[in-house]
Amino acid sequence: MKMLAMMRFTLFEAIRRGTLIFYFAVGTIIIAAFAIWLKKSPDDPTMITMFGTSMPGNINGMSSAEFFLVMLLRQSTFWIIVLGTFGAAGLMTSFLEKGIVELYLSKPFQRWELFVSRAFGAAAGVAANLMYCIVGLWLIFGIKLGVWHFGFLMAGLLVSYAFICYFSLVAFMAMWFRNAILAIVLGLFFSFISIGLEAREKGLYKLWNNTLYHRALDVIYYVTPQLDGMLGNASRLVGQMPFSPEPVVFNPAPFFYSLGSAALFYGLSIYYFSLQDF
Amino acid sequence: MAIVKTYQLSKTYKSGSFKKTIVPALVDISLEVSSGEIFGLLGPNGAGKTTFVKILLSIVRATGGSAELFGKSVGDTESRAHCGYLPENHRYPGFLTARQTLLFFGELNGVQKTKLEDKAVELLEFVGLKEWSNRKVQKFSKGMLQRLGLAQALLNDPQILFLDEPTDGVDPIGRKEMRDLFVNLKKKGVTIFLNSHLLSEVEMISDRVAILNKGSLVKVGTLDEVRGGVTVHQIQIGGILSPEQIRSTGLNPDVVRSDDSITTISVTTDAELNRTIDLLRSWGIMIKAITQQKSSLEDSFIKLVTDGNTP
Repeated sequence: MKMLAMMRFTLFEAIRRGTLIFYFAVGTIIIAAFAIWLKKSPDDPTMITMFGTSMPGNINGMSSAEFFLVMLLRQSTFWIIVLGTFGAAGLMTSFLEKGIVELYLSKPFQRWELFVSRAFGAAAGVAANLMYCIVGLWLIFGIKLGVWHFGFLMAGLLVSYAFICYFSLVAFMAMWFRNAILAIVLGLFFSFISIGLEAREKGLYKLWNNTLYHRALDVIYYVTPQLDGMLGNASRLVGQMPFSPEPVVFNPAPFFYSLGSAALFYGLSIYYFSLQDF
Repeated sequence: MAIVKTYQLSKTYKSGSFKKTIVPALVDISLEVSSGEIFGLLGPNGAGKTTFVKILLSIVRATGGSAELFGKSVGDTESRAHCGYLPENHRYPGFLTARQTLLFFGELNGVQKTKLEDKAVELLEFVGLKEWSNRKVQKFSKGMLQRLGLAQALLNDPQILFLDEPTDGVDPIGRKEMRDLFVNLKKKGVTIFLNSHLLSEVEMISDRVAILNKGSLVKVGTLDEVRGGVTVHQIQIGGILSPEQIRSTGLNPDVVRSDDSITTISVTTDAELNRTIDLLRSWGIMIKAITQQKSSLEDSFIKLVTDGNTP
């Protein structure tokens, strides 16, 4: 009950800070845009129109509806997650402020309970908005085009999962530095690094042909949440990335590795929090 | 029965980024607080009073010794369920109303939701904030925040109430109301641990006090024990005499104070009192009044702290 109260309060705080309302508004605008402008072509029912522009019925071997869904997942979720950290990181430092943290710690609460309920409250707000957007789009595609793509819904769940894993790193930074801005900057830095790490064999390895350097990159890749790997695989539940020569194969490994990584960073945060004096 | 028990409790802080300097905040503090008493912890700023309370509530970790609450180590979560705490400079989320604040902190205290609504209303009335219950906390004055803090500390019907500078920012009438409230809580069996630098307030309601200075326990005991049980006789005479003038007559009073046209001579022993009266009368000096006073806690506090006493 105490943990639920803290999670609920964290969500409430996110709403009061305006961050959740902002995400909700952005999500609603996206859903509304598709609700208004996404249509079946009146000339050819296999074709769809968006913003008045007709799309061919088949793009690179996939239906235009699938093409849209894949592009939405691949191109927008990364930015939604990155933006999500802006609001959620602040929640991880505001409860540590002098004058309020003493009140929380004086309650019959274990420190890990306090941290976990706070972190999951913060992450849940972003994840809930993400799911709202995904479910809304899923309904629009189903109602307007008759495309009820359950892979898209599942991908939405995986993207939310990816955010919770990625947020472990941001929460750790916030706990360590007690500074939301620094946590956001480092989180953003890492999110871009994760793209390079995912394709390190084709890019970062070639910068320096040194085994130690390659192994160091591997360690960073496996220890930290594999954000780009998770988002890429989530979109594969809908279809192949257009014009990509790679086959549509869903690989669950990044999700498992990232679970371990999230456990590590949340664990480190709790350990660090438990040692602190306030 | 001792509710709070510490044995050689110590806390050191490390300061500096590279070359660490060890700063002792508490040094070997051993004391007990019994059930049902009002215990005042006194000390100048930086003496370690807040650190001591924070250790008892696991907000700060001790670096040495041991501390127990209700016979259990202070790290035990359950013992905190019976504690109320009003921290110094506390802040509540400004977007919550007074009522929402109590409901939220009540839930964190583990108070049953069914009881919480009534409890919040009752406490808001109790601390005089009933009419402000639906106002946002960010609009509250310092005094109102202190009252809200007190209500928050009482949500779980605590057996011990830790109050860190509770009357800070409260007007004189509010202070009196708070003192009455503490005495009433004591009558109900609540132990009160009062951290304050307002000596007169502590003196009015405390059963026992402890004085901390530079992290060390200087004195602990009942008010009489700490005051030293010294009775002071004050002789008021007309005219202004300097201490040097009085001492030149062979008198050796403890304190000589001159205000306007009256000089007050303080002596502690009966023999000294009689000798002083005899001498003053023999010189034809008019004695205006003789009063008997116990030395105040403030006198003892200043003496103990400025002497740099440690046990």
